[in-house]
Amino acid sequence: MLRAVSTMTDGDYDYLIKLLTLGDSGVGKTTFLYRYTDNKFNPKFITTVGIDFREKRVVYSTNSPNGSRGKTFKVHLQLWDTAGQERFRSLTTAFFRDAMGFLLMFDLTSQQSFLNVRNWMSQLQANAYCENPDIVLVGNKADLADQREVQERQAKELAERYGIPYFETSAATGVQVDRVVVTLLDLVMKRMEQCVEKPTPDTQNAASTAQLDSAPASQKKCAC
Amino acid sequence: MVQTMEMINVSFLTDVERELILEVLRRDEELRRLEEQRVKKLKVEFLDIKRKGAKRTDGSYSEHSCGRCQEPLGRLATSNQCPACKHQVCQTCRSIRANASWVCTVCAKEAELKKSTGDWFFDQRVNRFSSAPGHDLVRVSLRKRPAMKKRETTGEVLLNSAELNSSLPGPVPRPRLKDLAVGNSSPSSERLARGTTDSAEKASLSSSGRTDTDSLHSSPSGHRKADEVNKSSPAGSTASSVAPLTKTHSRSGSTASTETSSLIHHINVCSDSLNDVDGLFKKSVRRVHKISDFKPTSVMDLRKDATEDTGVSMGDRSKSVPGLNVEEEEEEEEDIDNLVNIHRRTVGNSAYSLNSSRSTLGSMMSVYSEAGDYDTVDVSGDIVFSLRYDEGTQSLAVLVKECHGLAYADPVKMKCNPYVKCYLLPDKSRQSKKKTAVKRNTINPSYNETLKYSISRSQLSTRTLQLSVWHYDRFSHNAFLGEVEVLLDCHDIDSGHEECVTLRGKVASSSAKSAFAQYKGELVISLKYVSEIEKPSQKQRGRKAKAEDSGELHVLIKEAKNLSAVKAGGTSDSFVKGYLLSSKGKSTKKKTQVVKKTLNPHYNHTFVHKELSLEQLKGMCLELTIWDQEAMSSNDFLGGVRLSSGAVHLKEGKKEWVADSTGEEVSLWQKMMQFPDSWAEGTLQLRSSMGKAK
Ligand SMILES: Nc1nc2c(ncn2[C@@H]2O[C@H](COP(=O)(O)OP(=O)(O)OP(=O)(O)O)[C@@H](O)[C@H]2O)c(=O)[nH]1
Ligand SMILES: [Mg+2]
Ligand SMILES: [Zn+2]
Ligand SMILES: [Zn+2]
Repeated sequence: MLRAVSTMTDGDYDYLIKLLTLGDSGVGKTTFLYRYTDNKFNPKFITTVGIDFREKRVVYSTNSPNGSRGKTFKVHLQLWDTAGQERFRSLTTAFFRDAMGFLLMFDLTSQQSFLNVRNWMSQLQANAYCENPDIVLVGNKADLADQREVQERQAKELAERYGIPYFETSAATGVQVDRVVVTLLDLVMKRMEQCVEKPTPDTQNAASTAQLDSAPASQKKCAC
Repeated sequence: MVQTMEMINVSFLTDVERELILEVLRRDEELRRLEEQRVKKLKVEFLDIKRKGAKRTDGSYSEHSCGRCQEPLGRLATSNQCPACKHQVCQTCRSIRANASWVCTVCAKEAELKKSTGDWFFDQRVNRFSSAPGHDLVRVSLRKRPAMKKRETTGEVLLNSAELNSSLPGPVPRPRLKDLAVGNSSPSSERLARGTTDSAEKASLSSSGRTDTDSLHSSPSGHRKADEVNKSSPAGSTASSVAPLTKTHSRSGSTASTETSSLIHHINVCSDSLNDVDGLFKKSVRRVHKISDFKPTSVMDLRKDATEDTGVSMGDRSKSVPGLNVEEEEEEEEDIDNLVNIHRRTVGNSAYSLNSSRSTLGSMMSVYSEAGDYDTVDVSGDIVFSLRYDEGTQSLAVLVKECHGLAYADPVKMKCNPYVKCYLLPDKSRQSKKKTAVKRNTINPSYNETLKYSISRSQLSTRTLQLSVWHYDRFSHNAFLGEVEVLLDCHDIDSGHEECVTLRGKVASSSAKSAFAQYKGELVISLKYVSEIEKPSQKQRGRKAKAEDSGELHVLIKEAKNLSAVKAGGTSDSFVKGYLLSSKGKSTKKKTQVVKKTLNPHYNHTFVHKELSLEQLKGMCLELTIWDQEAMSSNDFLGGVRLSSGAVHLKEGKKEWVADSTGEEVSLWQKMMQFPDSWAEGTLQLRSSMGKAK
């Protein structure tokens, strides 16, 4: 469904989609994004200072409901990378509100980073653009099988409880990396569709009956 | 904005970290600029489509013709109705949605626009942060003003925050516009290559730099160590062990991204100057954007000096203008006339040299002038000013020196009390408005006043500086004495040399600017003429004779979309005011309730105008204006519509004028008259001025 666009002409894209990675320091957020955008692996640990972002332009295609060929869109991805270190917390969480979807990452070789997923979830719920944003849970460093501290079953259970997808990736080998971004992008694009497709309730009744000095309208709100 | 900044404490950052983060934010700014331009273009295109695809202006409506293409429809009833806009629509003017339902092509386009501009996201976000009182952002904002502008991002706020910028030795010099405009090779191809690889470059640069300077940390054990500390205490700080790495990273990283950002900048500058060459059409495109799409209002709020002009605090003002509060409380939503009267009284009573009353005066006058109601005189003379952009403070200083040979506002009495008003168009909000002092009894005033705008250089290139000269008259209308406009994208804003420009009249410039020149958003209304009201008292009288006059006009004010933000938090507290005007004068004022803190207010309020015949309505005009409610001062004009069957003659007080309704304003009015007892709904583009043709 996704394929990278080789040419990046300015402003020549249909959607700007902003995603954000979060999780403890050292779980591999920066390395993951580097693999995704540049298909390279950096074995060195350079902790992220505050925030950073990478970009990638991809083609996204939908499947039409009636089975016909779907539409394709050019999507410009802005992938925010946040610092996992606590000292940057106030700064990084402030960026949560600008993202449309989230990659919550932990390190499969660190039980502690997995335990902290809960904290990150509540940070998200408090600071994201809505209370239940689109999130994908990512267990990274799957290549380090001998050092694994978190079992797949545990992680899956947690993801199910939150109702979000779970993937095990390796930034080192590249396994599942694209898949994670595709899944998240797909969720965001679907949410976008839902948001605009709901006919607003107040336009429903207005034309039919005469409302004289009706009470203030109930806030138009997207239920998604 | 300020509130958000209170939450984002950046004081703990070292200078190097700050610089590194700033670089990231600058890269983000470039992307944002690109996105802004794209969104602007989409919105303009959409308005165009909408105007074309909407009901025609020739009034050839029929319930049995398609609301979009005007082709005749079958006899089918509700199944033809677009669920979103309620127009009857033919098969070909439909767009099937993913869930197999359909909407009309225009509504489909609107949905598409919501997606492609990202508004679906921003709308949701606004909902959340304005309705969850427990949230930090909101808690802070409740103390002051709404938390944020709809499209504003944290990166933007932070980048513009004095806090993050101030403690730096000095920001990286931005490319100078004129330098860039020369030597334009093939920027887009460079950008192509650059855009995709810059992050890679950055990474590789930083890793190599790091190895050179700090071999300890680059060894696997060193990395492992840092890793472990982080893991064991997610709350603990590992700053000391990581700091050296950071330094090199930042230095090499910033070189790469500075280059990138200057390239992107370059492209934007070029496309802007193209617009100018293309003249009118493009020019109007440039003007069509809403204030909320622009950053400067927020920028200015962050700096202390910005407040000096936009408003002396409420407390100050009410002290120096006794009685103002009382009067305005009684008349909380005044119309223009009342406002002016109140204002004149209060200003007349106190010396207007007082800083506080001067600012009251200023906001007053602009309300007045925005509504298009001011005296004009023959323009003459010129204005001397200079512009200088200061990189250090990221601000534009407009030095208004003097004017020569102004026209007398009152040639007979030789009256002229001129002052200069300044805007960075298209922003016409209070934050953008700056004024000099009023000079008395002179046509050669000397001001030597510096008006300062905190704004980034890249934003400036989308702006037009407007300096207008006004005569201040405390007893009569303020008179317009002339203006100049300076496009800042191709103007020298570095040398600060003096310029002397001849003042132009409004007529010259307003031929290019129609009443719709500035995008102000839309108003959604439904009209219905109720032909016969069953009233027992009337039944008893001669019914045939009276039936005509017993009709009512129902005006359902549904909602407004994309209003301009005039409140500091990037929202508005708006209400709609309605007058039904005829050749005999105007009806009583009708108002909706105030809907707070939104640029997309839902009023759902119906005005009922009684005892009207269809015949009367033909010669009438319905004016609906939207205002931002200001508790302690004058309300701000946000836009308006003028519905009538065309060029009808009207009378207000002693003034006679001709309505200039166009497009949907005419067609909706006609549709209402053509189909009594059924609702005619329409989305009307808001006028940025309600100026009247005499
Ligand atoms: N073997 C292996 N190592 C990985 C993988 N992903 C990341 N790493 C390594 O883990 C270390 C930390 O990775 P980063 O990407 O810098 O971690 P981060 O999450 O960005 O950390 P902060 O920026 O401090 O929040 C680096 O040395 C990476 O090379 C992986 O999938 N497999
Ligand atoms: Mg990182
Ligand atoms: Zn049609
Ligand atoms: Zn429709």
